[in-house]
Amino acid sequence: MDNIYRPYLMNISDMVDEAPGVKTFRLNFSNEDEGKKFQFQAGQFALYSVFGYGECTFCIASSPTRKEYIECTFRQAGRVTNALRELNIGDTLGFRGPYGNVFPIEEWEGKNLVFIAGGIALPPLRCVIWNCLDLRDKFKDVTIIYGAKTVADLVYKHELKEWDARDDVNLVTTVDPGGETPDWTGKVGFVPTVVEQAEPSSSNTIAIVCGPPIMIKFTLPVLEKLGFKQDKVYTTLENRMKCGLGKCGRCNIGCTYVCKEGPVFTAEEISKMPDEF
Amino acid sequence: MEKRLYKKDFGSFITSLQGLGYKTVAPKKDNNLIMLDEIQGADEISLDHVITNNSIKEFFFPKTEKVLSYRMEKNKVEIEEPEGFAVKAVIFGSRPCDAFSLPVMDKVFNWDCSDKFWVQRREAITIVTIACDKCDSYCFCTSVGLAPDAKQGSDVLLTKISDDEYVVETVTEKGENLIKGLEGVFSDSPSGVPDRQVATVEKKFAIDKVKPWLDENFVHKVWTEFSLKCIGCGACTFVCPTCHCFDIVDECTMTKGDRVKNWDGCQFKMFTMHTSGHNPRSTQGERWRQRIMHKFKYYVEKFDSILCVGCGRCSRVCPADMNISEMLEIIATEASQPGNKD
Repeated sequence: MDNIYRPYLMNISDMVDEAPGVKTFRLNFSNEDEGKKFQFQAGQFALYSVFGYGECTFCIASSPTRKEYIECTFRQAGRVTNALRELNIGDTLGFRGPYGNVFPIEEWEGKNLVFIAGGIALPPLRCVIWNCLDLRDKFKDVTIIYGAKTVADLVYKHELKEWDARDDVNLVTTVDPGGETPDWTGKVGFVPTVVEQAEPSSSNTIAIVCGPPIMIKFTLPVLEKLGFKQDKVYTTLENRMKCGLGKCGRCNIGCTYVCKEGPVFTAEEISKMPDEF
Repeated sequence: MEKRLYKKDFGSFITSLQGLGYKTVAPKKDNNLIMLDEIQGADEISLDHVITNNSIKEFFFPKTEKVLSYRMEKNKVEIEEPEGFAVKAVIFGSRPCDAFSLPVMDKVFNWDCSDKFWVQRREAITIVTIACDKCDSYCFCTSVGLAPDAKQGSDVLLTKISDDEYVVETVTEKGENLIKGLEGVFSDSPSGVPDRQVATVEKKFAIDKVKPWLDENFVHKVWTEFSLKCIGCGACTFVCPTCHCFDIVDECTMTKGDRVKNWDGCQFKMFTMHTSGHNPRSTQGERWRQRIMHKFKYYVEKFDSILCVGCGRCSRVCPADMNISEMLEIIATEASQPGNKD
């Protein structure tokens, strides 16, 4: 019987400093055969571990269309993420996953897509964004609205430039009031306000929202006002998790286990959950 | 055919089991506690109690257990699987409520993927339960659909019929094989119906009223009111035979370490706190509601089983005198005569 708590071993092949305290690792399987067999879909998450420090949970930030590696982006905050940050290229870490459900990307074919992200919540959407951009012909207009506290806190700065330069992507970036620099050309304002101003059409459109609970709370009513039906709005939730397998008992919202039945939910599903976010 | 086990034969029962390579566990005095613990001989067995202070769960889901070990050298890591965690054993003298907790917990530990640490211990351990001949005011097994002589979860059930005599019933094939392997220890039953000494556990609330009420009352003043005295110590979750929440942490030196699964509990503030400091269950009332909801609503919806066996340990051990059956009585009463929600 397999040990469900046993991680794959992975090696760091590249790293990028994204923002203060935020880093991206590119990971390759130490065992190539495991890497060849490994499959995941956009929206899934994993438990990353630094041996000697423990495990922590975050999404897979790279697209499943790019099979050679996995990327993860994390903010240095606690014991494990501080230890992660100390690792160097070539170092080994543990990876347990992929866990959870997925974004139903195939159902979105032929539709417009609006991605809305705040702060460190762009990584879970980056996976879907690249997945959809790698299959660009299958979708109509793609809009990305992304905000962070300050200009420095925006993650994936190079990719934001790349998306901005593309004709087939409409990128709107914003920073919270006071977070702008003199040469900032994006918007200034909170994400819900900027979404309201950007007025993405809700006709034949799917919205994918991810951010801190407070941002989601204020963005969902804006989308409703713009005419988005609740079942056309997707989000991905993150709760504290230890096992990722529906056993350790802490990530539930009411009867729903975020690790197994989530992390991807529609606004409709969320509206039926008790207020325990 | 029904067999008898005489108290005077406990000694040969235990030594025969040990001869067959079983580790033997039974209720045993430990200062003023009665603990299920490993015994060397039958003289250590204590039977003059309502229920052991510890539950049976720690023999299947220990307080702390290695889920993997590793060695670290420069930037290389080598993982080693834990071995020898499932030891062939007989737990003798556990209570029917404890035994029933095992099939209840099988459901979560096998949900989608199986936790081999639980599953392999379940296979290795045989449960010989003794029906309760007495109870106390905390017991409420009959309110959650069990009985002091319930068989579910046991492999063999013994019921006292006199001060030195038990009637033996095999419940599972595993139990039958155990008894078969111990010829000579058990006696044949004389004819006649034995007088079973089984406790009468008072029914405290109507369980069928609880879930429908919980379905409607996620928001209700009772959650805060009842939990105001809770100090959040989590003792209730640790003594509970069906509380199964755990944490996973690393313990290590510079060159080697273990990844360890430890008991955790929903009554702790840190249990659900996000890295950002945001906490979905930030008050003790919310955490108390989670405990009740998990046991009597969520688990029922997921696994068609109540996550409570009515052992009453949580209430016995609570330093603030929170009593789960009182809570359920309040709920059952509210369900019949709804009061003010706010």
